[in-house]
Amino acid sequence: MKVFKKIFLSSILFLFIAIALFPFVWLISTSLKGAEEIFQFPPKLIPSDLTFKNFVEVWEAIPFGKYYLNSFIVSIAVVFGNLFLGSLTGFLLARRNFKFKNILFFFVLVSILIPQEMILIPLYLIVLKLKLIDSLAGIILPAFVNGFSIFMMRQAFLSIPKEIEDAALSDGCNLFKLYWKVMLPMTKPTLISLGLLIFISTWGDFLFPLIVLRSQENYTLQVGLSYMTGTFVDNFRLIAAGSLLSVFPSILLTIFLSKYFEKGIFEGGIK
Amino acid sequence: MKSVDKNSIFLFLLPTFVFILFFSLIPTLIAFIVSLFKINFFEPSKFVGLKNFIRLFSDKYFYQALINSLIYLSVTPIITLISLSLALILKEMNSNERLFKTIFFIPVVTPIVIAGIIWRYIFNEDNGLLNYLMLSFFNQKIHWLSSYPENVISVMILTIWRGFGYYLIIFYAGLLSISKEVNEAAILDGAGFFRRLFQIIIPQIKPTITLVFVLSGSAAIKLFTELYILIPGAPLSHKTLVYYLYYQSFERFDLSYGSTLGIVVFLLTISFSYLNIKLIEKER
Repeated sequence: MKVFKKIFLSSILFLFIAIALFPFVWLISTSLKGAEEIFQFPPKLIPSDLTFKNFVEVWEAIPFGKYYLNSFIVSIAVVFGNLFLGSLTGFLLARRNFKFKNILFFFVLVSILIPQEMILIPLYLIVLKLKLIDSLAGIILPAFVNGFSIFMMRQAFLSIPKEIEDAALSDGCNLFKLYWKVMLPMTKPTLISLGLLIFISTWGDFLFPLIVLRSQENYTLQVGLSYMTGTFVDNFRLIAAGSLLSVFPSILLTIFLSKYFEKGIFEGGIK
Repeated sequence: MKSVDKNSIFLFLLPTFVFILFFSLIPTLIAFIVSLFKINFFEPSKFVGLKNFIRLFSDKYFYQALINSLIYLSVTPIITLISLSLALILKEMNSNERLFKTIFFIPVVTPIVIAGIIWRYIFNEDNGLLNYLMLSFFNQKIHWLSSYPENVISVMILTIWRGFGYYLIIFYAGLLSISKEVNEAAILDGAGFFRRLFQIIIPQIKPTITLVFVLSGSAAIKLFTELYILIPGAPLSHKTLVYYLYYQSFERFDLSYGSTLGIVVFLLTISFSYLNIKLIEKER
């Protein structure tokens, strides 16, 4: 009975593992296929003549390197903004008393509750007024610090014992030093989780970059790939190679930082 | 506190405050203001009162988009069932859970655009993998992308594939919080798995279930990219509210009507979440 149960549960688990991974297996297989083989019906899982030329061709067919660089610039900038301003504000909200603290915290909560879809057009109008349409700054600035990051960092700072703060202050620590040297290193796990979540979501961001970016040299990967599916309708092997290259950073980071990703989802989920 | 400290607090808070003000609070206000005007790129803006909201009631495309978005809400119970079951299995098996979780994260961290591209080729009606399987087993093809409601199912499959790993983690964390003593006492009493599931596990993780309902429900109401990539060629009547918002704002350049639709999306998600939370409070 026990053995039967174990086999049953394992087979369900492995079925879902197959479902989760199969699209990638197929993507990898397609990206290694030659031009003729792609239209073969029935489709083959293992290409008969393996080739890496799709990965070279996609680089030549579209400014793929430029898209990649743009996505990196945007993601790194947004991660930096959220980690730095998010932790600084979270620290002050958690550990200091000041005038208007509750109002600021209320604003932070409001900004978490407002869906991006509702403020899409106002954000577009503001970016337009700032003359940042068709620039990377136009998508970095609106995402530079969000309420979610502040909230998550605030929770992390709240859990640090008061004695540590008191000891540092009686040693003559000033406010910035208390934040930077004493408290911030203690929130390292949350910083990693938050940075990972922000990187993954910015890397995959689509709707806002789609409406802000106009010229090809400014596209991020997601916008570039979405247009590529329009122009290379029948050339899935190039698109597959491009998709594989662009999904790489997110998956690699997640595999190495799996524990932090889970922590991030959990802390983010209970916000 | 020293007054130097007080000054530096305000200095430190200033950048964040400016960002929140300009990219969150003011936009929220503008969203409501814009919806009361007629704004496009071709003529000067003018105040029209509630006309944009009244227009909703006679707009058949709006009704269709609203209905489609509500249809996509049915993803919520399915994804809840799948991720809760998998979380229970992982907990029950009690081995190598880190490896399994990492595997289930991979679809979650795949950008929607790329997930959409992959599935678009799997769903491809002429030489896609699914239709190959359909042909060999049932001797017929399915119009996964071009027919309605088949393409609704396709979008749902993509959404579930990309989402279940996320909710699995939330459920897994919820399951860890169940009191061990009660569960073990029930096992000693000879209670089978399903009895424990309905009498011990589910009652204790009700808040988690509500959380997953709220999160996956709001995501389902706001579907856009999935449709943009998977079924770009499908007519407007197959599309969702946020897609209609995008269409009105950036293809018809009617920014004020688009903003009105944004407010509808906001009201829908808020009321869906509120309803869920009220339901759980009532049961207590």
